[in-house]
Amino acid sequence: MTVFRARRKGQIAVELPPYAAGLLASLVRQLVELLSDGEAQATGSSDPLEAMLEFSAPRDSPQDPALLRLLPDARPDDPEASAEFRRFTERALREAKVADALAVLDKLGDPHDEAGPADLEFELTSVQARAWMRCITDLRLTLAERLGITADDAELWDALAPDDDRMPIYEIYGWLSYLLESLIDAVQR
Amino acid sequence: MTTAPDATTVERPDSATVVQPELPWITLVWDDPVNLMSYVAFVFADYFHYSKPKASRLMMQVHNDGKAVVSSGSREEMERDVQAMHSYGLWATLQKSDA
Repeated sequence: MTVFRARRKGQIAVELPPYAAGLLASLVRQLVELLSDGEAQATGSSDPLEAMLEFSAPRDSPQDPALLRLLPDARPDDPEASAEFRRFTERALREAKVADALAVLDKLGDPHDEAGPADLEFELTSVQARAWMRCITDLRLTLAERLGITADDAELWDALAPDDDRMPIYEIYGWLSYLLESLIDAVQR
Repeated sequence: MTTAPDATTVERPDSATVVQPELPWITLVWDDPVNLMSYVAFVFADYFHYSKPKASRLMMQVHNDGKAVVSSGSREEMERDVQAMHSYGLWATLQKSDA
């Protein structure tokens, strides 16, 4: 099953079974929730001076390891500089990731629609394809953090028992890897 | 969407012809157990407009050595590159090149 196919002018044709589209949409909505979590003063300030000085902008690293992986420290050698970088960039980075996520959800349709038996078919522009890649990557990073995947444990995961509690999530992780490979392949054609 | 990569992000001065007023800074990308090799090489080619061989070489360096210097320039430029790498989900940091 090929999900993504190259079309003319960098367009990518996508074909997703309804259950796959539903699963992907559910994962992406959870990612949006994660990215909206723990943001300082999420309500936004109405004080223009405060907004200009960014008093409410985050300085501390996220506590959640998955969120920290999505929004990493830029200057681990210099915590003060790292905090400054975060203060000036973290909100924009969160917004960019949410925008990527919304670009994916936009194509997957309304979750309340009756899921028919027909595959979902649509096209992505080259810009949208990149948003999809970034979002699928963010999903993979998040699931890997939740599973505890590390550099040298490939054998452990390959030998995971079918009834292991982690198996369903690991299978989704593998499916997202396949999706990303397929999309990269189509974009490079 | 301020970090979306596009063609305008590469308008930087040629470092061979411009005297940098400060010490050059570098962007490092670090190996991680999640990102696909094909994806990392794709990002290097797509965002930095590196040739496919150069992008692949840098990706292999990340994979084998644990990290690679993927760009260098002013601090502001490196901050932009690091933020872009983070938007792609790559683990990137910046530092002074002599650090």
